[in-house]
Amino acid sequence: MQVPEEIVHAAGLIPVVIWRGNEAVTWGHSHIPPYYCGIVRSFIDDAVRGKLGFMDGMIFHVRQCLLIMDIPLIIERHVKPEYMKLLYLPPVYPGEATRDFLISDLELFKKSLEEYTGNTITDDMLKSSIAVYNENRSLLERLYEIRRKKPQILTSAEVMKIVWAGMLMQKEDHNELLKELLPLMEAMTIEPTTKIKVIPIGCLCQIPPFDVLNMIEDLGMVIPDDDLYVGSRYFANKVNMNDNPIEALAERHLKKTPVCPTKGVWDVLWADDVEEMVKLNNASGVISIHVKFCPPHACYYPDFKSRMIEKGIPEILVQVEHEMLSMEGIKTRLQSFTESLGGE
Amino acid sequence: MGFAPTFIFAFAMGMKCHFMAGYSAYCGGIGAAAEVLQAAEMGGDLAESCSYHRLHMGMAEAVKRNIPINPDAILPIPDIMIAGRLCPEMAYYAEGLNRRLGVPVLPVEFPIVFDREDVPRIKKYFAAQIKETVIPTLEKVCGKPFDYDRMSEILTVLKKVVTVRNKCWEFFKEKPSYWTLWDYGVSIAPLFYMMGDPVGITYYEKLLKELQERKEKGIPAIGPEGEKYRLYWDGWLPWAFLGKFMRKLTPHAAVCLTGRYLWEFYPDPDMIDPEHPVETWINLYYDGKEPLAMEYAPKGALHEIGNLIEDYSLDGMIMFSSKTCRLWNISQLDVIDMLEKKYGVPGVIIEGDMIDPAMVSDSQIDTRLEALFELIDARRR
Repeated sequence: MQVPEEIVHAAGLIPVVIWRGNEAVTWGHSHIPPYYCGIVRSFIDDAVRGKLGFMDGMIFHVRQCLLIMDIPLIIERHVKPEYMKLLYLPPVYPGEATRDFLISDLELFKKSLEEYTGNTITDDMLKSSIAVYNENRSLLERLYEIRRKKPQILTSAEVMKIVWAGMLMQKEDHNELLKELLPLMEAMTIEPTTKIKVIPIGCLCQIPPFDVLNMIEDLGMVIPDDDLYVGSRYFANKVNMNDNPIEALAERHLKKTPVCPTKGVWDVLWADDVEEMVKLNNASGVISIHVKFCPPHACYYPDFKSRMIEKGIPEILVQVEHEMLSMEGIKTRLQSFTESLGGE
Repeated sequence: MGFAPTFIFAFAMGMKCHFMAGYSAYCGGIGAAAEVLQAAEMGGDLAESCSYHRLHMGMAEAVKRNIPINPDAILPIPDIMIAGRLCPEMAYYAEGLNRRLGVPVLPVEFPIVFDREDVPRIKKYFAAQIKETVIPTLEKVCGKPFDYDRMSEILTVLKKVVTVRNKCWEFFKEKPSYWTLWDYGVSIAPLFYMMGDPVGITYYEKLLKELQERKEKGIPAIGPEGEKYRLYWDGWLPWAFLGKFMRKLTPHAAVCLTGRYLWEFYPDPDMIDPEHPVETWINLYYDGKEPLAMEYAPKGALHEIGNLIEDYSLDGMIMFSSKTCRLWNISQLDVIDMLEKKYGVPGVIIEGDMIDPAMVSDSQIDTRLEALFELIDARRR
């Protein structure tokens, strides 16, 4: 999250966004307490079980949250990738010092990749990679526009999988696949829905459990849009190309919206962002999906909720974990929420 | 409001300061933590959030909604919050209070440094924020130029305070020890809340005298026979449970003597140069053989804890793992493993919380402590 993949791409490497595995954490608990978020526990579990040996390099943004800081030493000890780099991308604080430091961090990142690959990353190469990524963002935006008009054209889990695939595969290939898919979606005729529209938000750095997304739809709601990381947050804000591509990437990092609690933004409110999204989609409510033991989201949540109440937007919290022990509690909450919105 | 690396600038301007951990320790000490945390839950805070964060939110909720809590736990609304982002939670609470009470925020990024090669550029960034943002903002809030002379005076006093305090520290090397880490923990307020006040020198001189007297009279910190287990304590002190832990350790003749957390506050008075107040303050965190800004990260921790094990003849390590604040937990299990292999000193994790009683389990603490003592005994045979 927040690592500018374009620099890795320009180095001729395939950037892959850290993922949460699909197995229960076992050996990992000898290295990380159970009161850490799913993605960190799952990734460390994969690391110590020897499942990450196929990766050539790893990059960690250690200022994203406290939990991610646990990973580097464990990776150094148990995976020993050929290339490893820690980034200190700063929060969006005012002043030139922050911007200068951010640019220096990105320059050093570029230099370290050059040293690893033995190839110089020219400005033109970086601009070319930015263009590929911007195209991907445009294509995903288009996908979301179509979905907004025809919310039932894909299930929410399918949309997540499309976005997620782009985080794991070569971007050029993803772009080609999207270019095949989008005209087909545009050509499809879907009957307008009368179902209740809801917006899921949260899961700030990982994919929500598909079961939860499916459950929302099974209960008679439809998801026309989202404010999820593996969703609209991932492709928000294109890089504004200028003469200096590193500075352009820095400017993207310094954008305050979509508001992310990890980025130190307090003068723009997340709830205002979400209110806009609710209006745009004519949605009836918001489902906050909080990954258990995600401190940035947990600390921000009470303020978000109180703003939702002030704005008169129905909202409910669903907490998810890597190992979902029971879906019944979530189902009960979502059923009640549906009924309160006038659903069956 | 502020946190350790920044509030000296507010003190220099004559502002009264409160800081996050200080308030939390105070709440724990006066027995108000549980009710303030309840007020936070009434405001919608999740129990898994940092308990220091929740305490501040709970206090704000109590003020906003007129929830009756111990009046001694209520702070005046600050004029400004210096949001030092050492761990991100230290910024979340200031951001939260800004959203709830509208108090202005002065944010400062203070990254934990993982690798020595990163120290110079991060130091430069921190210094630039102090000069570009912190000092001008405080000048604006106070309506007067920054008082460099007062900062020099504060540092002159601090240097003396730390010099005397270090002589007290030396007593932790004695066998048996004449005081404990807990005693030091409850003696830390003069360093912060009285920063720049000569009364801090008097305080530590009295403490030093008491320690010398205990040594002369042969009165160890615990029990007539002194300690059986000399321990390292990692992480926050459990402010609301100091008595509980002491009651669990003492029957085993175990005593906690050192810890990274309390060690971080200016171990090297020679580095303090009052003639160059701003620069010396920044140097305190980023210069020296082992920069303090590295101490939070695993590599710095390994070095620092290793030194403490050797210098203080330690037998074991208690790694206090807070369930709601992970600042000191970073790679703690691997750190134990590496230290055990290098120094032959066993360690255990004790899960709990500095403040929240709902996160503290007696049986878990007892079991882990017993395991630690058995491990130490086995290695002595």
